[in-house]
Amino acid sequence: MRILVCVKQVPDMAARFRPNGAGTWYGEEDLVFRMNEYDENAVEQAIQVKERLGGAPEVTALSIGPARVTEALRKALAMGCDRALHVPDDAAAERDPWQIASIIARVAQDRGFDLVLTGMQSQDRGSAQVGPFVAALLGFSCATTVVAFELGDGRVRVKRELEGGARSALEVALPAVVTCQLGLNVPRYPTLPNIMKAKKKPLDAVAPGGEPADARAATARFFEPRRRAAGQVIEGALDDVAARLATILKERASVA
Amino acid sequence: MEPTRAIYWNVGHGVIAPMYLLVAAATAALAWGFARRLRVWRRGRPVDRLDHPWARAAEALRAALGQRAVLRAPRPGVPHALFLWSFAVLFAGTLLVMLQADLSEPLLGRTFLRGRLYLAFSAALDLAGLVALGGLAALLVRRVLLRGRLESRREDWGVHALLFAILVTGFLVEAVRIAATELGAAPALARWSPVGAALARTLPPMAADTASALHLALWWIHLALVLGFVAALPWTKLRHAVTTPLGRLFADRRPRGTLDTPDLEAEGATFGASRAVDLTWKDLFDADACTGCERCQRACPAHATGKPLSPLRVVREIGAAAATAPEASLLDAIGRDAIWSCTTCFACQDACPASVEHVRKVVDLRRHLALMEGEFPGDEVRTAAGNVEVSGNPFGFAPATRADWADGLDVSVAGDGRPADVLYFAGCYASFDRRNREVARSFVKVCNAAGVRVAILGKREGCCGEPIRKLGNEYLFQQSAQKVIDAIHASGAKQVVTTCAHCFGALSRDYLDLGLSPSVEHHTTFIARLAEAGRLWMDADAAPLDCTFHDSCYLGRYAGIYDAPRAVLAAAGARVVEMERSGADAACCGGGGGRILAEERLGSRINVARAEMARATGAPVVVAACPFCLSMLEDGLKAGGDGPRVKDLAEIVAERIGG
Repeated sequence: MRILVCVKQVPDMAARFRPNGAGTWYGEEDLVFRMNEYDENAVEQAIQVKERLGGAPEVTALSIGPARVTEALRKALAMGCDRALHVPDDAAAERDPWQIASIIARVAQDRGFDLVLTGMQSQDRGSAQVGPFVAALLGFSCATTVVAFELGDGRVRVKRELEGGARSALEVALPAVVTCQLGLNVPRYPTLPNIMKAKKKPLDAVAPGGEPADARAATARFFEPRRRAAGQVIEGALDDVAARLATILKERASVA
Repeated sequence: MEPTRAIYWNVGHGVIAPMYLLVAAATAALAWGFARRLRVWRRGRPVDRLDHPWARAAEALRAALGQRAVLRAPRPGVPHALFLWSFAVLFAGTLLVMLQADLSEPLLGRTFLRGRLYLAFSAALDLAGLVALGGLAALLVRRVLLRGRLESRREDWGVHALLFAILVTGFLVEAVRIAATELGAAPALARWSPVGAALARTLPPMAADTASALHLALWWIHLALVLGFVAALPWTKLRHAVTTPLGRLFADRRPRGTLDTPDLEAEGATFGASRAVDLTWKDLFDADACTGCERCQRACPAHATGKPLSPLRVVREIGAAAATAPEASLLDAIGRDAIWSCTTCFACQDACPASVEHVRKVVDLRRHLALMEGEFPGDEVRTAAGNVEVSGNPFGFAPATRADWADGLDVSVAGDGRPADVLYFAGCYASFDRRNREVARSFVKVCNAAGVRVAILGKREGCCGEPIRKLGNEYLFQQSAQKVIDAIHASGAKQVVTTCAHCFGALSRDYLDLGLSPSVEHHTTFIARLAEAGRLWMDADAAPLDCTFHDSCYLGRYAGIYDAPRAVLAAAGARVVEMERSGADAACCGGGGGRILAEERLGSRINVARAEMARATGAPVVVAACPFCLSMLEDGLKAGGDGPRVKDLAEIVAERIGG
């Protein structure tokens, strides 16, 4: 069995984001990067499948982007992936989900994967489209936003998170693409021996396989929303807070 | 006639051969016993604890005879010291007797226990015996009174009985002899054995042969008991008479709190300890140096607040595992919750009269958990560690905002070309925590007032890694440390000052192994020097300030900084009311050992316990000198309603210079 985990490296969300020169995405100055949180759940799920099957499946991590994304790949290797593929692409951050999905699909095409795991969305772009696009391009079944995962008899049984806390259970046939929601599992913290081993695992650069597909969407403008007046924090004893809140509501919000 | 006594009176020189045979047997039991212990100790990893052998020997001798550590708890300490000193006199006396009776007299025909020397010898031994009995009695009374609070095993009572019997039979042998030879014939001589003579007077009159038989019997009993003591040394808690001084001999001579800095790239190495065999031989030895006095447990803030940690139990579990199951998991025996509960406050180790190194053991166990199993004491700590890794601070704030606290202040950022006298390493708390930013700003104001030009690392500053290291994650610590060291070296700074006791410990001590070159100082001593040099004009006549000072573990017990902050407070015109526990006995705020990053889920809260000690002084202000302490104490005081305010030393000074 072969498993592919697609990971994205994203900026830490605590940063103050500023538009880049073209105004079409954020600039990278002063940013620090980490693995997309949802993709950590995907990596963890892949490793758990591997462990449950006695180590038989080969788990490949894939990331598209500039040289820095190899840090995320090393982390995936330290968590337990067997090998990593890096598609060098300095323009990756501004590519639309369709382009990213088509690069993934091209790399995955002839490598015989039975299962593709990835985060349900990225923390920065948040399109949640890459997974389903990859499934469509490869002709795989697809389940998104999964919070429970079980593999057996060539099928994957998952639970999906729906709106309002509802769940749906479904079974999809392999090969499949599954996108992972937070809470699916607790991503492991790599142990030191595994970090050291990861340094020696194969991390290969692969060509994107020709010109990227045409973008289906273009980001016209990246901007900060108009600033609103600062909120007000009311501190003090509970009774005082309640009284002052009541006053403010009466004065400003015309609450009867 | 010259005063002296016949050695082997009544027993005769014929006993020498059988006596020495018995001595040899007892010595053999002693040697065999310690050889067996040695086999256990050798199950540990190697560590060099025999460098500077003479200095070590001198320290060990001083510690054993000086009894300073034992005397820190006077109630058990004074009787123990008195007993030890008098027992030493008795032992020396016995050696003198042996020297004369079995060596100098038969071989050289010379005696020296006569005349004035004999009188002094006789009186000294007599009094020593009495003092030893008194000390022993006091310890017995204490043990009885503390029943239920101080663990007493059968062995403890047995050792008491043995020592009592040795002293009492010694006096009885002497009394029978004095009754027969001195009371009537040489009363002047008997006066130099006051205890023996007094006892002799109470003996019923008896016939010469009865006295002789009784004396002989008592002599053999006394000898047997003494040899029993020798033989019992390695097999009972009496072994501490040998192992405790040896423990001091083998003590860690590096600066206090130094941890080993392993090469993490080493091929095939495992890190930390999960079994007894993963610890050093000194760690296994420590279990034998331990006397079970429980001072570590009494000093432990985690134990006092109902957490499953007892430093004593950690040491004992290690000893038990080393002896019986050296390959079994210590993590299970000691318990993960216990291992994670430690605040590395060093109170246990500081209180230990047997030089046991508790903290290093805990960190070694944590290293295994963190490095080999990827464990944390909680998910919040995992998140914090992830933040340190990515953002260089445990809160996860953007590193670009790290220097925002300094907006509007006269500080330069290293590399901006402005000259500076010191590099201020603010640390994560002073950089990001709203309350502690005030401390950073106050410190800069103090420096400015003294004409000290301050530079900061700005965005290049990152977490020093101290809490992470204490949580066992040596890898992330070394990674963080290397970034900090590179940034400091790139700044060209000659002197670094920090307002955080933990940054201070990391930079000044832990980074030695990693190659940090500039000298590092904590702001308490830095400000104290400025004040002493007259560079700070503080309004000492301003309204008097009553306060209490909380000694941070990492300043006090770790670095011995107790006087500097108090000197600064005095110079600022503050009156310090000391807490119930202060100085070397100060109780931890609960923030050490990486616990600052962890929720306190077990037992009651350590910071509340310490906050209540502060509140009990009645002082309106609690002065701290560490951001962890400041945060923990403020939090702890909130729990009990209105109470004193907590301020950093730098804030007190900044107020008094009117900055």
